[in-house]
Formats: sequence, C-alpha cells, structure tokens
Amino acid sequence: MYIGLSLSDPHPDFVSDGSTKRTLSAAQFAGRYRLVDFMLSNMVNSGINHIGMVLNSHYQSLIAHIGMGKEWDLARKSGGLTFFPPYLSDARQSVNNEIDGPLHRAVQAVAKISGEYVVLVDSSVVCNLDYRPAMDAHRLSGADVMAIYVKKQVQPDSRGYAVAYDIDEDGRITGISGASGAKDEVQNVSLGAYIMDKRVFLQLMGREKNCGMLRFSKEILAPQLWRLRVRGYEFRGYTAQISSVETFFRHNMEMLDTEKRNELFHYGGRRIFTSRRDSLPTKYGKRAHIENSIIADGCQIEGTVINSVICRNVRIRPGAVVENCVLKDRTVVERHAKLNWMIVDRGGYISESRNMLGSDTYPVYIEPERII
Amino acid sequence: MSKSDMYYGKECIAMLLAGGRGSRLGSLTEAIAKPAVTFGGKYRIIDFPLTNCVRSGIDTVGVMTQYQPLLLHSYIGRGQDWDLDLLVGGVSILPPHSKPGSTAWYSGTANAVYQNVDFIDAYQPEYLLVLAADHVYKMDYSKMLDHHKQIGADCTIAVIEVPMKDASRFGILNTDPHDRVVEFEEKPEVPKNNLASMGVYIFNWNVLRKYLAQDDADPNSENDFGGDILPNMLADGCGMFAYRFDGYWKDVGTEESLWQANMDLLDDMHLGFENWQILSKSGGQPPHYIAPTGSIQNTLITEGCEIYGTVEHSVLSAGVVVEEGAVVKNSVIMGNVRIRKNATVEYAILGENTVVATGQTVGTERSPNGGGPTLLVHGATAESKGG
Repeated sequence: MYIGLSLSDPHPDFVSDGSTKRTLSAAQFAGRYRLVDFMLSNMVNSGINHIGMVLNSHYQSLIAHIGMGKEWDLARKSGGLTFFPPYLSDARQSVNNEIDGPLHRAVQAVAKISGEYVVLVDSSVVCNLDYRPAMDAHRLSGADVMAIYVKKQVQPDSRGYAVAYDIDEDGRITGISGASGAKDEVQNVSLGAYIMDKRVFLQLMGREKNCGMLRFSKEILAPQLWRLRVRGYEFRGYTAQISSVETFFRHNMEMLDTEKRNELFHYGGRRIFTSRRDSLPTKYGKRAHIENSIIADGCQIEGTVINSVICRNVRIRPGAVVENCVLKDRTVVERHAKLNWMIVDRGGYISESRNMLGSDTYPVYIEPERII
Repeated sequence: MSKSDMYYGKECIAMLLAGGRGSRLGSLTEAIAKPAVTFGGKYRIIDFPLTNCVRSGIDTVGVMTQYQPLLLHSYIGRGQDWDLDLLVGGVSILPPHSKPGSTAWYSGTANAVYQNVDFIDAYQPEYLLVLAADHVYKMDYSKMLDHHKQIGADCTIAVIEVPMKDASRFGILNTDPHDRVVEFEEKPEVPKNNLASMGVYIFNWNVLRKYLAQDDADPNSENDFGGDILPNMLADGCGMFAYRFDGYWKDVGTEESLWQANMDLLDDMHLGFENWQILSKSGGQPPHYIAPTGSIQNTLITEGCEIYGTVEHSVLSAGVVVEEGAVVKNSVIMGNVRIRKNATVEYAILGENTVVATGQTVGTERSPNGGGPTLLVHGATAESKGG
C-alpha cells in the first residue's frame, strides 16, 4: 500500500507576477489543465488513491478546481484525498515554537494510516508518469529512497528551482545540488518525486515544521546521502517544471509540438484527468483563420490565431490577430486588436484596435480581469 | 434495499422512454439505441431530456432501456454527469425484467411504464412526467407542471406548432379554443391541425396508473401511449390539455433531420435558450489542435480533434482527425472518426469510429431537391465505398 503526499514550493517570482493570488500548482497548462492535474492523474493511474496535499498559501483556486477529487475518482469511502491547509494560528506562532504546521499534521496523518510506502511528490510538475515500475524497482532494490529524475538540459530561467543528482555507476545518488543551467549540459534533473519506506519518511520528516520540495531535496535528503541508500530512477517522457512567467510561457508553447503533446497526453494509454465544465463546443466563424494552435472548448473564434494556446470560453472577434500568445479563460479580444507574445490571464479584455507586443524572450503578462 | 428504504415522497418524477431503436435512422442505430446517438459535437441525444429534468428541478428519473442498451447504460452510469447520483432519487436505469408469472419485453411505451409501477409507486409521486428521449430541445418542465396544476388537468401534453405541410409526420392534437384536447391523431394523412405532440406528457399518477392497468388487461391493446392510453382517457372524458411551447424543438429521428439539427447549431449554438447549459459526459481529452496546414471555418469542434486538412460548415465530435489534404464540408462527424489524407467528405453523417481511406470520396454536393445525407455507420471503413 502506497500513500501519496504532495508538497509545493513557494515561487515568489511567479506568484507576484504570473499567477497572482494562485498557488503554482493551480496554474493553467495546455488550454484546459492545471499543473496539479498531472500529479493527481499520475498517482491515480498508478493505483495510489490515498493522497494528502500539503497547502501553504493562495490555495483557494486549487481547492475550487479539485473539489472532493471526484474527477480523479478520489471522492471515496476509504482513501481518497485529504488537504492539509495552514491554520490561522500557524502564522502567529514564532519560528521557535511552531509545532503544528500543515506539514506536521500531514506527517502525523501518514504515521497513523496503514501503508508501507510513501510517494512524496511536487504538486506542480507536468509529466505523464507511471509510478508502478519505479515502485517495483524501489521494493526490489532494497534502497531507502528511490528518486525519479529525467536527463535533460536545464534552461537558465529555471536555475534556482531545478535540482540535479550525481549518480554513480550503480545507480546510487551521491550528490544533490542546484542544477547549473549551463548551456549544453545534460543533467540528471530531479522530478521532485521520491518513493520511500514509511519508516524512512517519518525519520526524515518527523521533526520538520515546514517544507517544500526544494528544501526536502537539498536540506533534508542531501545531508543523509552518506547513510541512506538513495537510488535514482530515470523517467524518459516529456516533462515540464514551471517556475516563472518565462517557463510558464515556454512550456505552454511546447504543447503546439504534436510529438510532445502526444507524449504527455497519450502515453501508455494513461489519461490526464481534470475538472470538466461541459462548455459548449468551440465555434469558428466564417472568416476564422487558424494556424498551429491548440484551442479549448467554449471559444468563439472569428479572427486569426497563429502559434497560440487558447483556454476555455475565449472570444476572438473578426479582424483580431492573436499570434504567439497564451490566452486564459474568458479572454476577449475585440475587433482588429493585435496581440503578439502575450499572456492574458483569465477574464482579460482587449479593446478594439489595441496593439500589444511582447517578445519571445519576454512575454508580457496581463493580470486577471484587466481591461486594456 | 428494503422497501421502506425506497419510500420517499417526490411531487413529480420523470420516466424516459429510451428503449426504442429509432429505425428511421437506419444503420446509425444498428449498434446503439437512438437516445445514445451523438449530437452537436459534445452530446448524446439523451443529454437533452436529462438536462431538462435536472434544470427543471426534477431529480428522480427512470430511464427505460431495451434496444442495444450497453452504450446507453455505461454513458448514464450513476448519473454523476447530470448531478443525478443522489442518495434519494437520482437516475435509475430500468431494463425489462422478469418477475413471478411474467417474463416480458417492453411491448409498447405504455407497457414499459406499467412494468415499472413499483418503481414509481416507491416515490409516491402526484405527477408523472413521461418523456420520449429522441428530441433536441431545451424546456423548463416546471413551467408546464405549474400550468398542469393551474388548470387542474389529468393529462397535459406539450405541443409545438409545425408547418401544416409537415403535420402528417407528427402526432397531432386537435383542440378546442381553450386548448382542451378533443382528439389525438398519430401521423394523420390529412391533418386537421398543426399542433404536434413533443413527446412530453404530464399525468396525474393516480389517473394514469388506473389506465395503465386497464390497458394491460386488454389483450387487443398495443400498449402505446399515443395509440391506446390517450384515446382511452379522451373517451372517458379525462381533462387533457395542450401546453404550447414556442422554443426550439427538433425531432432527430431521420438522417435528414439529424443532419439539419446539427447544422442549426452553427446558426445558434444555444438553440434559443442561452442560460440552459446542456450537461453531458465528456471524455476529458486535451483541447483540439489546428495544424499549420489546417483550415477551419464555420464549424463546431471539440476536444481531442486534430485538423491538418480543411473543414467547412460542419460539426465535429471529440477525437476526430482530419489529415492533410482532406476536405470536410457540410457534414456531421461523430466521435473518433479518422479522415485520411486527401479524402473528401461532403453532405454526410459519419458514425463513431469510422475511417475514411486515403483519397476516398464520401457523399456528394447537397442539392435542393436531392436526397438525404450520405451515411456511414459506426465503425465502418470507407475503403471500397466510393462517392
């Protein structure tokens, strides 16, 4: 029996900028998903249906999205989904006597329920990952911790959020450090996913007050490498780790690549579940012109859309041109407005004949419900 | 479940007649029942009466199935997609069943309801809403129920005015100036009126219950609402009234009307009723993708589609792939159809999982006095069937 537990990291850049008042794992992806959908779907697809989520801040839209977990078959009598939100009193406690933060309560809960193994994951990593082979490998290897990683090059804009492993010939992890982000250097990049015996989990986390995935990797697990057998398990599919406006934009745009999209959504027949809203189908007008774009349901497109990711219920009026953009739910682009290299957050309204221009290395972000 | 567990009073519950084949849809309904036929990209026909019930505050719905029910059963599931997975009430699937002294298929619409008298009685309803499950419309049944109560009718039948020339295709109600029904004629050759029955009936349950029992005891009856129950009630002077509905309503029982109703959505996606979102079970696929080689105009499309070719004036369901060079025009394409390179599809209905081979032509241009759309059945491969 496996217990899933998700942690999230504070991402100051992103929260102040790309995802106002929304925790990172609630950020949108590929037109209709939230980052957290991938973590939850991967767990459920791997047979893990006892899942706890440690929440820190700005989690309102996350909870609204997940609800009781019905869309992931997690609304159930035994097992299912448990949130561990902070209490108001947690914030009042000084650093020294902080005793029962959300992580502490989650660890207590894990200690109580039956299950021999814990799968500790980052709630915002995008991938379609079957934990089962990794779980089998973990049991057979007799290791204390199995860390899942992917071999890739870290982009400079992800530096500071990505963690890399040194792995020896026997598959044992000998070092954990911040990924360098150097050009052309392929590293063993952590996917923020660890499988471990519950006993090991309780040893490591038993006294933690508050802990994100970065802290767990670099400050809790790394110092124990000398005594714990920590092994690596390589994942070979598509992954995206979002940490900033630039990475949010870049990874959303990657979904225009059919190969990457198939790798993420049609891998091994495993589906990615998300909340369904029964939006109307999308309607294209008589003069719509579309190239290389993914477009969610509920939209009405009468203008031109090129190289863009369009979320639900967006309106693009005749004569409008949207190029290289991510438009989130309910964006309206009025007649003859032109957008290039933009991210428009939900409910944005671009008035008639406006011209808005960002650049490929610096997409301009427009906050929710903004009228331009 | 003990019987006492089931006893909960409900003022009005609905019974959906979903057991028919819909043979006028030809091969489209060889493998699935008509209410399970795809409509409007994201829906199946049964979504309309189910949504109407839920939005009208009717939370107890019995769905009577008989013909090819597998897809219908799995589609309805526990009713969760219509918020009908309730502890008290909700959706119940009611196939024919055996009981002491009888093992019988549903022999007619009235017989289907009669065989489920115990189900209905358990809720002790005052009113029973009986619905055909093969029409596309958005209707607030609670307004009709109010009307039924107000005039103190025994039976109220929703009607819509149809053009006189089409009236002989429908069940026609002949009424007096107060909309009291004086005669019911099923598909009259020479119609006297243009008030067509919409297949939406409200009965006082205690009255209907009596007529169902009488009908069951009559060996000459065909056990049909239109043919037997309604005429018998009229003959006895029951209070039967027409309730006029003036919204969008379409019988999608023929290939031509199914095609036309889909095309109607291109002009008005809301079918004249904006704040009445139709609930359905969507598959949860990724958003659709339009490739650099793709072109799409005047079309409804939904999740999971990938368009590398050209699509014009069509309705596409989930998971349809139109490959490079392929052209789709004036067509209704149901779920997971694959239209291969350089194929042409025009004025056609393609059933679910159909594959159109490379370079193949399906259908022809629509002519004003020509026949209905070309139909390819569910799962067929158009390898050898040229245009």
